[in-house]
Amino acid sequence: MLAMDQGVVEEWLSEFKTLPETAISSYATSLKEKGSLVPALYRVIRENYSDLLEPVCHQLFEFYRSGEPRLQRFTLQFLPELLWSYLSVGAGRDLHCSGCIEALLLGIYNLEIVDKDGQSKVLTFTVPSLSKPSVYHEPSTIGSLALTEGALANHGLSRVVYSGPYFQRETFTAQNRFEVLTFLLLCYNAALSYMSTTSLQSLCQLSSRVCICGYPRQQLRRYKGINTRMMVTSEFLVQLITGIHFALYNGESDLGSKALDDVLYRAQLELYPEALLVGNAIKSSIQGAALKSNKEGTRSIQVEITPTAPRISRNAVTSLSIRGHRWKRHETEENSVDSTDLSPAGTIPEISITGVGGERLGVANGEALRSRTEGEALGVAAEVGADPRGQQEGGSTFRDPSPRFLPARLRLPSHGLPQSRHNPAPLPPGKPRDAVDLGSPDELMEIAEEDEGFCRRAAAEGGGGGGVGGSGSPPTVVISNSCGASSPAPTSGKAAGKSQRRLLVGKSKEKEKEKEREREGLTAPDPRKLGGAGGRAMSENTEQLSLKRLTLTSSQSVPKSTTLSLSRTASSVFSRSFEQVSNVLAIATGNQGHRAPSPTPNSNHAPELNRYSVCSLQEEGLGYLAGRAEHTSPTPHHKQPSPSISVHLAPDL
Amino acid sequence: MTARKSGSRLETEIERCRSEGQWDKIPELVRQLSAKLISNDDLGELLLGESKLQQYLKENPIKQDASPRGNRPRLVEVRKHLTAALDRGNLKHDYLQEARLLMAKLCYVEGDYREALSQYGRVTLDELQLAGAPVYRLSMIAEAYATKGLCLEKVPPSSPSLTNKTMDRDQEIITCYEKSGDIALLYLQEVEKALSAGMQNRSPKPGPVAQEQELGYFLETGLQRAHVIHFKNGNLTRGVGRFREILRAVETRTTQNLRMTIARQLAEILLRGMCDQSYWSPLEDPPHHSPLDDPLKNTSHTKDYALSRRPRIYSGENLFCPQENTEEALLLLLISESMANRDAVLSRIPEHNSDRIISLQSASVVYDLLTIALGRRGQYEMLSECLERAMKFAFEEFHLWYQLALSLMAAGKSARAVKVLKECIRLKPDDPTIPLLAVKLCIGTLHWLDEGERFAKMVVDMGEKASEFRAKGYLALGLVFSLKATDASLRGMQEEYQKKALSAFQRAQSLSPTDHLAAFYLALQLAVSRQIPEALGYVRQALQLQGDDVHSLHLLALLLSAQKHYHDGLNIIEMALSEYPENFALLFTKVKLETLCRGPEDALLTCKHMLQIWKSCYNLTNPSDSGRGSSLLDRAIADRRQLNAMTLPDFSDPETGSVHATSIAASRVEQALSEVASSLQSSAPKQGPLHPWMTLAQIWLHAAEVYVGMGKPAEATACTQEAANLFPTSHHVLFMKGQVAELRGAMEEAKRWYEEALSISPTHVKTMQRLGLILHQLQRYSLAEKVLRDAVQVSSTAHEVWKSLGEVLQAQGNAGAATECFLTALELEASSPVLPFTIIPRML
Repeated sequence: MLAMDQGVVEEWLSEFKTLPETAISSYATSLKEKGSLVPALYRVIRENYSDLLEPVCHQLFEFYRSGEPRLQRFTLQFLPELLWSYLSVGAGRDLHCSGCIEALLLGIYNLEIVDKDGQSKVLTFTVPSLSKPSVYHEPSTIGSLALTEGALANHGLSRVVYSGPYFQRETFTAQNRFEVLTFLLLCYNAALSYMSTTSLQSLCQLSSRVCICGYPRQQLRRYKGINTRMMVTSEFLVQLITGIHFALYNGESDLGSKALDDVLYRAQLELYPEALLVGNAIKSSIQGAALKSNKEGTRSIQVEITPTAPRISRNAVTSLSIRGHRWKRHETEENSVDSTDLSPAGTIPEISITGVGGERLGVANGEALRSRTEGEALGVAAEVGADPRGQQEGGSTFRDPSPRFLPARLRLPSHGLPQSRHNPAPLPPGKPRDAVDLGSPDELMEIAEEDEGFCRRAAAEGGGGGGVGGSGSPPTVVISNSCGASSPAPTSGKAAGKSQRRLLVGKSKEKEKEKEREREGLTAPDPRKLGGAGGRAMSENTEQLSLKRLTLTSSQSVPKSTTLSLSRTASSVFSRSFEQVSNVLAIATGNQGHRAPSPTPNSNHAPELNRYSVCSLQEEGLGYLAGRAEHTSPTPHHKQPSPSISVHLAPDL
Repeated sequence: MTARKSGSRLETEIERCRSEGQWDKIPELVRQLSAKLISNDDLGELLLGESKLQQYLKENPIKQDASPRGNRPRLVEVRKHLTAALDRGNLKHDYLQEARLLMAKLCYVEGDYREALSQYGRVTLDELQLAGAPVYRLSMIAEAYATKGLCLEKVPPSSPSLTNKTMDRDQEIITCYEKSGDIALLYLQEVEKALSAGMQNRSPKPGPVAQEQELGYFLETGLQRAHVIHFKNGNLTRGVGRFREILRAVETRTTQNLRMTIARQLAEILLRGMCDQSYWSPLEDPPHHSPLDDPLKNTSHTKDYALSRRPRIYSGENLFCPQENTEEALLLLLISESMANRDAVLSRIPEHNSDRIISLQSASVVYDLLTIALGRRGQYEMLSECLERAMKFAFEEFHLWYQLALSLMAAGKSARAVKVLKECIRLKPDDPTIPLLAVKLCIGTLHWLDEGERFAKMVVDMGEKASEFRAKGYLALGLVFSLKATDASLRGMQEEYQKKALSAFQRAQSLSPTDHLAAFYLALQLAVSRQIPEALGYVRQALQLQGDDVHSLHLLALLLSAQKHYHDGLNIIEMALSEYPENFALLFTKVKLETLCRGPEDALLTCKHMLQIWKSCYNLTNPSDSGRGSSLLDRAIADRRQLNAMTLPDFSDPETGSVHATSIAASRVEQALSEVASSLQSSAPKQGPLHPWMTLAQIWLHAAEVYVGMGKPAEATACTQEAANLFPTSHHVLFMKGQVAELRGAMEEAKRWYEEALSISPTHVKTMQRLGLILHQLQRYSLAEKVLRDAVQVSSTAHEVWKSLGEVLQAQGNAGAATECFLTALELEASSPVLPFTIIPRML
């Protein structure tokens, strides 16, 4: 150590002691002007056995304790060097010879873990959520968010503790060492912008050395000195990486990237996922940004003018453009039973303003789209909400002895149809239904049916009927009986009610869909099969048009071999938006004329149905009652004393 | 549009076309206009000039840093129109200004910057009214400011002026751009408003589909050039401020892409260039002195202009405003992510290749930044959910798959992580780290040993290619075999696996002699196969490499106890405890050793001490470790409710080692719990207790055992009851109840408890041994023999079982077999530790 250094350090040691309390802040500013002081202090810390080390450590601690931010940062800038000093001495088995550094580190730690009142400090932050408006966004413009469990849990802003509280520590032990050191690095990282280049360099060096000492890579870096391995923890590495990340973009790109490589190397060897995760991300974002290494050591944060026009060509299928498509796809799959048998001749041009084209229509359509996506989101929400209940209900309902046979009977036709016709790889029924893991296939089927509501059941039934009848007509079916009258057992009636309610919830979000069912008139012999099935009838007429449309899409885009999975419908049941309701309704009503067999009241009821469905969304309980009332009302029109299936033939297709 | 339009309607139509940028319709409208009002010829010239200029710019967009264009014929035509409009001087004041602005723009396009500036000088931009101006004029004004800024940048300062002057000039340029940007935002908002109103009015006819608004060079420059200059000047504070201003303006369709980019860029700056202490919130004034700014350049921190009308900003009650660096970065990234995600190109046809690459790039930049931000805060659970959304980009993209796998791993979702890692291996079969990560998960909480073996073999099969990781591969393989040996129920299988494990560990150790883990696991395996002296050698070696490794110290203590050096063992444990004061595994061993060499009172004191540690650890402790906010204790209480609902809680078995194959049901629950625990506390020390409540129950059971040893049934019952409150159906609890009953002499009751314990865990050797003894006392010899033989089958190294078996055989008069059993017992006892070696966890 040079005599000059010693002089500088000694002067520094003495002057602070005599400083009056009031002069501290001006002293803190003046520290910057002492150019030779900082390098001299670095040398003192590096030469572990210097006599000055102890007073220097003491002084640094006094600085920190003063509470003056600039003095605290003055101390903090030496932290990487102090850490290295401490760890390297520790690695030399000489744990207690660096007593004063240890005391300094623990001192800072113990000061930092408490707040002004001496309470344990807990560092928290708020996890922002897109579902809450912020200064930068409005939730409605974001569109539908994936409704994951996590997203629901994070609905609203949650405050999260990311550090603390910690215990006061009097000594380092193997157990608490890295907890303390990690916390110290956290403090250092919080003041990164104030750190000098030397300090950042020292941090990079610390990171490299801690990670490679004792490993084959040490030779590569030509570092001689300690060659025993040092323990690290994943969190410690993550904090190091955070510092390195800053150094990388603030003048130390060479040292920084070397250090990052070394930390990643060690993280790989130790199999630490956290450090690998963050390190990989930084590495990959550097490659993307093509970091400019500035020779002058200035900050290399730069931005360029970027073109604002969308860079993705308009006809590419994107997540946005496919939002509409996705539902259609499901639809075609679900309807393929129906549609594959239909001649594709009766096609009507697709009514669709989804996709890129729709997106670019301008604001008005944008609004429509928006409302559609919201509808989707709602639908999913409702679905999520309904599911568990559906399971329970399904379970409890069918545990009752009387209706037990019901699903079994239904299952037969619904299975038989797809398998015999066009199902190269039959899906287990109910399987794709949102991956609800359930025990037996029976249960699966039951739940699928419960969830789908009656139309599916009916469709399956009618499909079977159609096949048997050999009419060659589309095997779609609608049930237009009432639910209550002579259902086999009260329990089944109850189940029906519940199903209806669910149905309604679904409907309100997808009236269009509801109108999209093609139905045929046919009276099924066994009313019990449909004991609970009510209320679907009113929507049948309106669905004629849409089915044609489906026919088109399926013949266009879906392979004939589409697996029929009835239960698949369940997931798409909730997917419609309101936009076409009025159109479809109007056309459907128009179609009424030549579709004689279908009962006229239905079309009259359709709008009301919508209304009730909306109600049911808002107040499920009430909606349920209203819905039932609504559904039972058409019964007299049918003049059917007992519940029965009426399947309407649609020869004009 | 054949019908003539009335004057005002025509004007509205013209205004609409101008604000929507439908320049191709202007000539037709002008024709109609001029047919109508002759006096408006000048206006016609203006409009024609404008539309031609705009058409020209649309077809020949200006590129950054492109050389100025010469006199093109079309531009000459434009000039003719504009000159005509200006010269006659019949124009209304507003239109005159517009004509001048257009003229200046034309000059810029032609490369005559000075002339452009002089045109602007004649208009005095600052006096143009923003309030009440038609929408298109907003755009004109914004463009004018931007163009003026561009000209000022291009034209060298007229005089070789002082530095002070250039500073002013720089400031003037920036102000031009900032004003241009603000007005541009306002314009875009107004256009969108007008459009949506128009759409509603116009329906039901499909009407002319409005094109996507494009900003054009001038507005784009106006919006972005200001912050580019700020950052170039090293003025981070103002750059960030400008970014925030742009982002706070209510989004329009046209600005979406800009917002996505700027949000990402601001997040980058927050993460790369700022820290918690230098942060200021968007609603606060920036600090006067910031370390972020280049100290050499002394630029002002606040903007020094005001506009009569500003773009609408997000407002309302309870707006979330970030208060912290990471919060703001996260918010921005989430916004950016939602947009990037929406633009994910899904089709795989070759024509869309470049689109796909663009969308992938812009998304993966965002996901990387999200990883950095969330990783800093330890929010791996949330991160894994975000990265899951990235999966629509991930087809054949290794980086995204790998990051997802790592985040799942960090979030404690082990089973899914393994599945994703498999895909990563497929994409990058040469990287040894990936299968090693998979093994780590498999032999950890998942206990998927067969899978683990497959992954470990992958690494081993890489041979030399795996370099440093080869040793790790063998280590992993050894661990898998070692765990399999513990699980195996047939003696032959056990021995075979042990042999395999041993040779794998030896290979690892020879490949990497400086790795303490290799030496340590070799020692552990040797210890398990009761080669005590060899094991001692290796454990010493491990300790030389890593002096304060808790498991090595623990193993050393157990090895010493196996040699019956209880005092030495206890000393080692106490030394280890000075470094790891809160390690319960060490404390449990301490209890055992203390009972042996210092008497039960000391052991009881240790139990009490453990209870205190437990309380201080989990009462006050680390909410930091528990994901979301609530303290660990709250969580533990919540978990406790779950625990009661679970039928088969089991804790890491202190008696027979970790999970036994036959108690899979029990271990499942353990798995689930530890998975929960690890997801809660990804940052918790890994060698810590599995679950707070399990630890607590274990402490009570240890205390009960000490009391049983002291012959105090009442206290033992109380302790057992405490444990039973936590885990009423644990076989350990039932076993302990049996022991207490035995102590009280209630043999039948003890038998019942033991039978219950066995019905839960049929391979609990200690229970089997006690049951065998009771049956022996009840003189049901053959049944006792059966039970004990089963026990020997499960664990061939339990000397007490051999001894009991000997006694039973002796009672049955089978002296020969009895002798053999006694001899085996004797032999085993000589190398038996106080607690089985397998209590030491085996993990990567």
